[in-house]
Amino acid sequence: MNSIPKQEIIFVTGKGGVGKSAVAAALAKKKAESGRKTLLVELGFQSFYQDFLKLSKVEYHGTPWIQNCDVALWSGPEALKEYARHLLKVEALYKIFFENPITRNLLQVAPALPEIAVTGKITSHPRKVGPPLPYDTLVIDAFATGHFLALLKAPRGMAEAIRFGPMGEQSRSIQKILTDPEHCQYFVVSFPEELPVQEGLELGKGIEDIIGIKPKHVMNKVEKFPEELDTSSVSLELKTFQTYLKVKSEKQKTFLEMLRAQGSVIELPQVFETEGLKVVDQLKEALP
Amino acid sequence: MKELLEKSKVIVCVGSGGVGKTTVAASLGVLGASLGKKVLVLTVDPARRLKTTLGIKEGDQVVQVPLQNSPGELWASMIDAKKIFDQFVMKASENDERAQKILKNKLYIQLSTTLSGSQEFTALEALYAAYMSGSYDLIVLDTPPAQHAIDFLKAPQKLSALFDERVTKWFRDPEGKKQGIFVRMVQTGSRQVLKILESLTGSEFMHELADFFQNIEKWQYKLEERTAGVHRLLVGQQTHFVLVTSFDESKLKEAEDFSKEIRKAGYQLSSVVINRSYPAGFSMQHKAEGTGLLEKKFTEYQNYYKKRDLIYERFQIKMSAEGKVLRLPELETDISDLTGVQELAGKLREAEEAT
Repeated sequence: MNSIPKQEIIFVTGKGGVGKSAVAAALAKKKAESGRKTLLVELGFQSFYQDFLKLSKVEYHGTPWIQNCDVALWSGPEALKEYARHLLKVEALYKIFFENPITRNLLQVAPALPEIAVTGKITSHPRKVGPPLPYDTLVIDAFATGHFLALLKAPRGMAEAIRFGPMGEQSRSIQKILTDPEHCQYFVVSFPEELPVQEGLELGKGIEDIIGIKPKHVMNKVEKFPEELDTSSVSLELKTFQTYLKVKSEKQKTFLEMLRAQGSVIELPQVFETEGLKVVDQLKEALP
Repeated sequence: MKELLEKSKVIVCVGSGGVGKTTVAASLGVLGASLGKKVLVLTVDPARRLKTTLGIKEGDQVVQVPLQNSPGELWASMIDAKKIFDQFVMKASENDERAQKILKNKLYIQLSTTLSGSQEFTALEALYAAYMSGSYDLIVLDTPPAQHAIDFLKAPQKLSALFDERVTKWFRDPEGKKQGIFVRMVQTGSRQVLKILESLTGSEFMHELADFFQNIEKWQYKLEERTAGVHRLLVGQQTHFVLVTSFDESKLKEAEDFSKEIRKAGYQLSSVVINRSYPAGFSMQHKAEGTGLLEKKFTEYQNYYKKRDLIYERFQIKMSAEGKVLRLPELETDISDLTGVQELAGKLREAEEAT
């Protein structure tokens, strides 16, 4: 079943509103264009990409977006269902389990089950658990800061709490993949302002603490500013604008330096487009 | 804003992650205080510098924010989800022993910090307690960071699912011993479900899960009572919702759907704030002559913001039935202190006057 030697799994996270979904889509497109079969995955119950990438639908099973790249939406209960179907094999048993009205409630709320199910699905291919996911690359448009760290902590927490039985075993094997730099990479996105950068740096440390892999920092929305110009002859409006740019460019310098202090930074441009697809294309061009 | 602040006892700021809910909530607090009110801003996870400047400390202590020349008072508090959840457990459990058992349950420890919905639950708990204390004229709630704005409205249902009596019953009495013959037949199905779950997860996990559900059995009533109280508060005449959103067509689309959900749920949406909609002081009318770098950049910005403007216009028309739409500018400097919050409060007042 495993025709692909090593599947790479790329997690993209950051503070809410930094543009991580656009960055994740750009990364996926870049991978796809380089010939890698790619799956772009969003987590949760509601699709963002459906509108953003103008797709007819985004569901649990991948929908084609561009050549070599599909988009999917994964939630805990759906992932658990699939896992159970795969494990139980007997359709009748599966039906008893999932067609029970109460099971639905239980699966949504049983502590940590959804998190384990989602991380289990993400790492299912290298662990050879569940149906094959024949992609060279998975790009995960993951949750923002707090939720993402909670997601990453779940397998380790569960492995420590439950030592025996399938739950413990699964959690340990998930943890093994998540902490393996041969499989997993982590991208933390910020943009040049205090709160996103501060949160991005803390998030980076959090990932390193839980996973032991140093994430790559991405600075989104980096602008090219014109050099200081003589504005003695220009209008008041342009003067106001220049002051605005000056403050902005100083801010950008400060926060780029702050982010660079921890290591290298991938810089992506501020895109002056309002359409998702155009934003993604320009970001993709700027990716290393 | 003045009218909203005058007629409200509770303002709930909702919106998806990263749109600036916290700063808008704090600004509403400043405006409320400027009307002579004693205001409490309840926030979940403020950025560190905002926390420092507002003087908010970890835990649930309430601190007064020093406002100059304000006839009212501004108080702020950070919601500590874990602590409030633990307190709820203590209150809801029938005795200390039960409470301790839950607090030590390995799954509870995961639940109280990671379960989606637990933060929303604790935010509402904190709001309800502050409201019932009667100490404030106005409470502004900054809702927890969520991926989607709608998560906040769905959270209570999710949590009540946890206390679904039928689920707790499985674990309480899996053999159906206390039931009649018909119920026992149904229970046979449940037993099988539990067996399947056990084959998927293992006996140790099932043991913790059973322990957990057995111990929260008595919460059901307390939780229902509390849920009803919170619901009464949220649909009350003196409670208003302010939806905060940012630019991005899909974000605005989400805001549109969300505002309908708010109305459907019986809540009053008073305003929609498009945060950081344009750079403060930027002229949309001015025509930049010349071919210099500055002029080029200016025109690039103008073209971009004109495109955004059209999108806002469309949004505003669609939203006209739902609530007032206010556009807030992006301030020159980051809002990470009280001065920034006060400046934004001023912009909020201006935006209101402009409509």
